[in-house]
Amino acid sequence: MTGAGRVLSGFAALVYALILAPIVVVVMLAFSADNFILFPPSGYSLRWFNQLASNGPLLTALWLSVRIAAVVTLLSLAIGVPAALALAKGRFAGKEALSGFFLAPLLLPTLITGLALLLFFSPLKLTATLPGLVLGHMTVTVPFVIRMMTTALANLPDDIEAAAATLGASPWRVVRRVTLPLATPGLIACACLSFLLSFDETVISLFIAGPRASTLPVEMVRYVEGRTDPLIAALSVVLIVATLVVVLVVERLVGVARAVGK
Amino acid sequence: MTASRRLPLLLVPATLFLFVVYVWPSLGLFRNAFNEVGPTGAMVEAWSLETWRATLHDSFTIELTLNSLWLSSMATLIALCMAYPVSLFLFRTDSRFRGLLAVVAIMPMLVSGVVRVFGWLAILGDRGLVNTTLQSLGLITAPLRLVFNWTGVTIGLAESIMPYMILALLAGFGRLDRTLEEAARSLGASPWRTFWRVTLPLSLPAIALAAGLGFVLSMSAYITPKLLGGGRVFVLATEIFEQATTNTNWPVASVLAIYTLLLLLALLALSNLLARRLQR
Amino acid sequence: MSYLELSGLQKRYGNSVAVDDVSLAVEQGESVALLGPSGCGKTTTLRMLAGLIEPNRGTMTLDGSEITQLPAHKRNMGYVFQSYALFPHLSVARNIAFGLEERGVGRAEIAKRVEEALALVRLAGMEQRRPKELSGGQQQRVALARALVIQPSVLLLDESLSNLDAKLRDAMRHEIRSIQRSLGITTLLVTHDQVEALTMCDRIAVMHRGRIAQIGSAEDIYERPATRFVAEFVGRANVLPIQRDAQGRAAVWGQAVPVEAAANADLFVRPQRMRIVPASEPTGDGMARLTGRVLRSVFVGDHVEVLVEGAGGQLTVEMPSGMAAPTEGGEVAVVWPRAESRVFAREAP
Repeated sequence: MTGAGRVLSGFAALVYALILAPIVVVVMLAFSADNFILFPPSGYSLRWFNQLASNGPLLTALWLSVRIAAVVTLLSLAIGVPAALALAKGRFAGKEALSGFFLAPLLLPTLITGLALLLFFSPLKLTATLPGLVLGHMTVTVPFVIRMMTTALANLPDDIEAAAATLGASPWRVVRRVTLPLATPGLIACACLSFLLSFDETVISLFIAGPRASTLPVEMVRYVEGRTDPLIAALSVVLIVATLVVVLVVERLVGVARAVGK
Repeated sequence: MTASRRLPLLLVPATLFLFVVYVWPSLGLFRNAFNEVGPTGAMVEAWSLETWRATLHDSFTIELTLNSLWLSSMATLIALCMAYPVSLFLFRTDSRFRGLLAVVAIMPMLVSGVVRVFGWLAILGDRGLVNTTLQSLGLITAPLRLVFNWTGVTIGLAESIMPYMILALLAGFGRLDRTLEEAARSLGASPWRTFWRVTLPLSLPAIALAAGLGFVLSMSAYITPKLLGGGRVFVLATEIFEQATTNTNWPVASVLAIYTLLLLLALLALSNLLARRLQR
Repeated sequence: MSYLELSGLQKRYGNSVAVDDVSLAVEQGESVALLGPSGCGKTTTLRMLAGLIEPNRGTMTLDGSEITQLPAHKRNMGYVFQSYALFPHLSVARNIAFGLEERGVGRAEIAKRVEEALALVRLAGMEQRRPKELSGGQQQRVALARALVIQPSVLLLDESLSNLDAKLRDAMRHEIRSIQRSLGITTLLVTHDQVEALTMCDRIAVMHRGRIAQIGSAEDIYERPATRFVAEFVGRANVLPIQRDAQGRAAVWGQAVPVEAAANADLFVRPQRMRIVPASEPTGDGMARLTGRVLRSVFVGDHVEVLVEGAGGQLTVEMPSGMAAPTEGGEVAVVWPRAESRVFAREAP
């Protein structure tokens, strides 16, 4: 009685087909030659990729999203990793409560975070600005970095650090020479996922983006609301490929299921 | 020892950040819920329950609530029926592709929601995969209306919450020891009976938690109802967004947001309670 | 034909062979141990017997009818798992009733038999407890009761005592043995613990690398090991490399020993069969002898271990602890009956 059994495997395959269907369809549609969404397409071409390359608003939004994601990732690691280190290695009163506090933004819907940020940013004239969007995304990425890195650091064997200490390393040198090098794969994976989280963040952005500064997902939502042609499919293919690369990197380093799981 | 006394200082930046950009805005949202909307539509600073009274007495709010609850129930139920076998499969399989299969199962989580919605438009649309297939088979003459209505939103939502539920189920399958199933078999239970008497009862806590998670995610989802609903599907999430942006009616948006949050907390508490009850 | 027969059983996982050509015949009411180190294939054999895994080759027959293709739930084997595998969501009574319920036994009958089973394992009154509210020993008894209550054709015990502490294990060994005897139930027990095998079973099959190295009574296995592995695995043994002296006779430590001279072989002697005598004492009739120097004596409770060093090696002698220990550094002779000598060829590396 090892393995999954035939009935179960068959059913799982069916569900997998459903899970993958939208993605497969999008990829096929990207190469459509039609003027509208018709599936299966009546012909195949690269015309929508050419259209994409000359679509100013989408490209501008793409570039802004990349810049935002990069800044968000750097700042989130800078703030989140030290906090994770303290939570993973420290013993102090109120640690549990603080862990819970740091997790709360991940548990609450971004719909509500987005609304709160809109109300907060409007009087400060931070809506539709790069700093505003960066701060908004960080409400998601900072808690994410703290959660993922706390787990990663806590899973490092204590003995190794103790060994370094008995060999005469001061606490900070232990962190620099032992803890952080051991945590590097987790750190890279965490950076990749933070980037993705910020890049794909839609709801918070919808609240606080505006004509002056609009991220790619926001532009995509607006485009899909207005028109239905395969341009978004072409863009999606580009994004899916980029996501796949990131996912593979993360899978190599720590395992995706572990990284995004609780 | 790394547990130096200065270690907690490392928490200061993160704590400060979350206070300024998370806690303070949340309190602001709370504050806004007690402001009033003047006759001109402009916001009036106040400490009153007028917005609460008006919103909660509005029959539209009731309708939105029922819509949200119904949509979330259906999406969660569908997603659970799909996620459970996949999770069980992933939990049990000894395939060397297990890691890859797990990644594929949670793929939708990592692909932008807009991309997936677009995929569903292409599958369920008037000239999408389903309709063209059914028409070419001669089963239907006019295309079925599968998107820009509740059907499309339910399908899209179910798919988008499924990866989260798969992860929740996998995490909750801890008590599902293979040996217990073997014990049941050795005691004379057929594979099907073993599933009913051992596997399913032992995974009930995981199911309760996953369902709770799926429900909460569905209740607060905005993109899927918005885009796949095509403006014809009204739920709490879409209304909050409309009030906040199009109508710039912040007090009402805040009241609805807090109201939704309280609903969610109640539902989460319920599913946790259920899970704990089942865990015994 | 025996009650239970395994013949030519084989189980492969990819390229590795977990069980290779295992054949075994067990009589009704007999208790047989599969003894061996971890990874020797003993548990795999038991699981094949229970129908939990399928053999790649070979057949199993029970009471004359073949069961090789029968699914686990139709085999009627009482399996006691190493982890007990008690259903955590069911009470003790429901755990025990599980197999009866699957067999469609009537409610009243189930209640009666569960009560009897609980009395048998001395757990009356524990019906409504949950497994996690029980101690390890109690859980083990529930597992046993659950396996016995279905009146299995064969009782299978898979390392069933290994999770208990030493004292409890001792008690459970005797308890299970007496239940097994009083019910006259055919039993197959898998263990890596030789004491368990020696005390609980009529016969022992020593397994090594997926095969049965030797099968026989406890005495057979201990006194007349068939292979080098059995001699090393069961009990303790001094392993002394045999050389040839100038006259071509077999020698250990440069001293002639009365065994057949063989190339690449070792002399095996149990430490308990050896005695220490003054170096001046002459060799008795039918005795073998080696002289050496006492390196040290270690008191280990019921006996004293004396480590004796000769030219080119050491050996251990177990002496009853009442006797005066020889002085360290003193020259002594180690003697043993010739019949206690066994010679096994060295395995090719």
